[in-house]
Amino acid sequence: MSRRKSAAALCAVTLLLVAAFPAATGAADLSKAPESFRARFIETRTLPGFDQPLVSRGNVTFSRTRGVVWEVTAPYHYVFRLSASGAEEQMPDGSVRHLDAEHAPWLAVVRHIFSGALAGNISELRRYFHVRVTALRAGRRIELTPKSGPMAKAINHIRVTEAGTPRSLRIDEASGGRIVIRFLEAKTAAEMP
Amino acid sequence: MSAPATTLIKPLIWIAALTLLCVCAALRLDPRQPVDTNLLDLLPATQQSPLLDAATERTQGAFLRELLLVVSAADYSQARRGAKAAQTAFAAAGLPLADAARSVQALIGLYRRHRYALLTAADRQQLDRNPAGAFTNDVAGEFANPAGMMGVFGGDPGGYLGRFLMGLPQPYANFTPDGAFMSARRNGKNYFLLRATLPEAALGERGAAHAARAVAAAHAAVMTQCPACRVRATGAALFAAAAQNEARQEVLWLTAASMLFIVLLILLVFRSLRPLILGVLSVGAGVLAGAAAVLIGFGSVHILTLVCGTTLLGIAIDYAFLYFAEHWFGGGAAQYTLHSVLPGLTMGLITGVIAFAFLPLAGFPALTQIAVFSVAGLMMSYATVVLLFPSALRKRPAVRFAKLLQFPQRLLVLACRRTRWRYLVPLILLLLSVPGWFQLHASDAVRELQNFPKPLLNADRDVRTLLGQTSPPGFFLIEGGNLQQALQREETLFNVTAVAVPGAVALGLSRFLPSASRQRANLETWARVYRGPAALKRAFAHIGLPPAYVNTMEAGWKHNAHTPLTPRALLAAEPDLGQFVVRARNRWALIATLLSSPATVPQLQNAAAQVPGVRFVAPLQRLTDTFRQIRRRATWLVAAGYVLISLLLIGRYGRRDTLRMLYPPLLSLAVTLGALGWLRVPVNIFVIVGLILVLGVGRDYTVFLREGARSQATALGVTLAALATLCSFGMLTFSAIPALHAFGLATLIGILASYLSAPLSIAPHTEEAT
Repeated sequence: MSRRKSAAALCAVTLLLVAAFPAATGAADLSKAPESFRARFIETRTLPGFDQPLVSRGNVTFSRTRGVVWEVTAPYHYVFRLSASGAEEQMPDGSVRHLDAEHAPWLAVVRHIFSGALAGNISELRRYFHVRVTALRAGRRIELTPKSGPMAKAINHIRVTEAGTPRSLRIDEASGGRIVIRFLEAKTAAEMP
Repeated sequence: MSAPATTLIKPLIWIAALTLLCVCAALRLDPRQPVDTNLLDLLPATQQSPLLDAATERTQGAFLRELLLVVSAADYSQARRGAKAAQTAFAAAGLPLADAARSVQALIGLYRRHRYALLTAADRQQLDRNPAGAFTNDVAGEFANPAGMMGVFGGDPGGYLGRFLMGLPQPYANFTPDGAFMSARRNGKNYFLLRATLPEAALGERGAAHAARAVAAAHAAVMTQCPACRVRATGAALFAAAAQNEARQEVLWLTAASMLFIVLLILLVFRSLRPLILGVLSVGAGVLAGAAAVLIGFGSVHILTLVCGTTLLGIAIDYAFLYFAEHWFGGGAAQYTLHSVLPGLTMGLITGVIAFAFLPLAGFPALTQIAVFSVAGLMMSYATVVLLFPSALRKRPAVRFAKLLQFPQRLLVLACRRTRWRYLVPLILLLLSVPGWFQLHASDAVRELQNFPKPLLNADRDVRTLLGQTSPPGFFLIEGGNLQQALQREETLFNVTAVAVPGAVALGLSRFLPSASRQRANLETWARVYRGPAALKRAFAHIGLPPAYVNTMEAGWKHNAHTPLTPRALLAAEPDLGQFVVRARNRWALIATLLSSPATVPQLQNAAAQVPGVRFVAPLQRLTDTFRQIRRRATWLVAAGYVLISLLLIGRYGRRDTLRMLYPPLLSLAVTLGALGWLRVPVNIFVIVGLILVLGVGRDYTVFLREGARSQATALGVTLAALATLCSFGMLTFSAIPALHAFGLATLIGILASYLSAPLSIAPHTEEAT
């Protein structure tokens, strides 16, 4: 029933994973992937049918043990937390919504891939995407093209650039929309004070 | 009329009567269903309603025709390859898979067109409370959510349709669509689910065999493609196939063993196969006449009638053996055989008919059919002996009355001696039986009547656990003057059950299609949201969203047709949902279930009682209750029949002799019940049929002995009849099917007790008299 939602959620997790394990997508060398990192982000979202793009800013924190926290700080405050044990979102009005796995089976898939990735297994990603890695002068570019199926109905193409930590991410949606995220001041655990 | 003409006329009458019955039956026969295998047809007609019938059939059919197969492996690609192999094998076996993704797109497209009419209860409450504020908050959240960043449900600002869709019941918890399959990951393994729907009624032999073949082919195909894969399958059809297979194998060896024994017995005693042929003819004609009479009366014969009726006609073999014994070894001339046995035969028939004639009073179609079958069968078997046997057996064969054959009469003489053991042995047996009576317990559960192979039961448990399927204890039948009224009632019912049984998943059409009134309320909620675009813009600006977004969203609202989703449109997009709807005689009803444990039945019944037009139906429970009622009423009616028979016997033999004749069958019954109690064999409907048989046979023995005046031929006839019955029905004790085992054991003990106690019906005599 919620195939497209599932696809979307997978994409979201994919982005976070690619951001977290850029080296792994190409070489499966997880020893090089950071244990955790933190970055600021600026997201520019172009929506089909809306003249004005929506720009938001925030922080993303990733930890192999604690999961992902996606926090939007402007223009309003919003937090999305995803860990191996579940997901919840804090809405702009402060209310909290728990995503119930019983009513959203896609969440089980997302959590599974996510926890698998945390354990060092991201082969699941290749279930859904063709992965191409191009070496850049500094870092590399990773391109994900969805394999046929529900994923391909939601996304045309994903492009991530990284240099140890994620630098930018661009998603071209099948609906014509586009999301561009720039990561700033990305720091791995070792670099954090 | 000359003697040869008479000998010819009687068989002709017999043939004419049987032919007439068969022709009439053929004319009345329902060609679509000559043998009715539906157990629910046993329910009394007065308790039925057309809608309930349709609903019961629908739920039963959906369950019976579903076939589930799970392919699992640690490696995803391997498991998928295995699933594909199974899919191909299923398709080759004529079982196309229900494509998990087939209708999802069409359904989502339809929901999108009517998205303003579809809201979750929580969203509707929030929007009603604060239209602009709640909407702004939801839109902002949806834009910021990384899972919502794809704009999956483009044109669904705020993610309301997404939440409605996520709130829909999931057919298989934790399984998500994966191409043509549903797949899941659990404990490091990949599981692929294949769901097929059998084209024919799965309980029929064809359907069951078809399912078993398809599963075997799929299993072989998976093992070829993916040796590391594991395959587990379940479905009512597989259970039916296992039951049929077991029954077939058992019937084969039990029949072969009993037939061999009976043939040897007849050859040993009569040195001829003629008694065997005539005996089979007598019982066969009885079964044919019984089935014909039921067909004439009812149009089709129920499988339970065939099984129980044919069993009860085991009494008829007594008539044949009595005749053979008298003919071969009787004292009189061959042409007087019939004359000698006729009083015993006739009394046996009359008492047998009276015993069964009471059963229709129970008001159960099954018992009425069994009574008609048995009465017609007994009469035809009697007619076969009386009309056919004298013509077929004209000369007395010269067979030596071997010493062994004198044993029955010696036993009879021994048992008739006036000694204290004649009273002490029965008394001791009776006293031993008393504790057994108190250990007796009844069981009418349909499931306990059958025995299934352990691997099949384990596979079923594994698959159902994996799918998170709880088999609901029953279903709600929600009636209404029209479908909308039924939908409204279902919504009210689900509100009640949400409080009565918290956490239980409710399954019903209203979950997929809110009632028109609820959809209109949702549309009004949206009308309030967009009534003040200025307020919305202010709220957007306040939170930091571009106010211009409101214009696009408002345009989306204005362009929408604002019409509720209709049942017709939904069922066209997803015909499977039609399973929730039943219609009979211009009345509508919905079928709904609550996935909860059987312990919640009282709450479910209570919830149904609170909503008009709703009732809770538990088909298995209904069937169990019916079996219990049949068992109880049959017991009382047989007792009533016995009282009437005793009056008849008093008329013929006098009070003192009648009491003496009635006491051995009752003693056998008491001993049988005691033994069943000691052996912890539950009393079910089949045991009751066995006990009726025991009573009937015991009564026949006493009547024959009484009429036969202690002749050696009568004693031999009774002995042979008892041995034949023991061989045929007593053998069922070795059956692995609990129902047959219980029946066999009851018959084995009962017939043995009846035979051994039959001499007690004759007045004791002194040594001198012997």
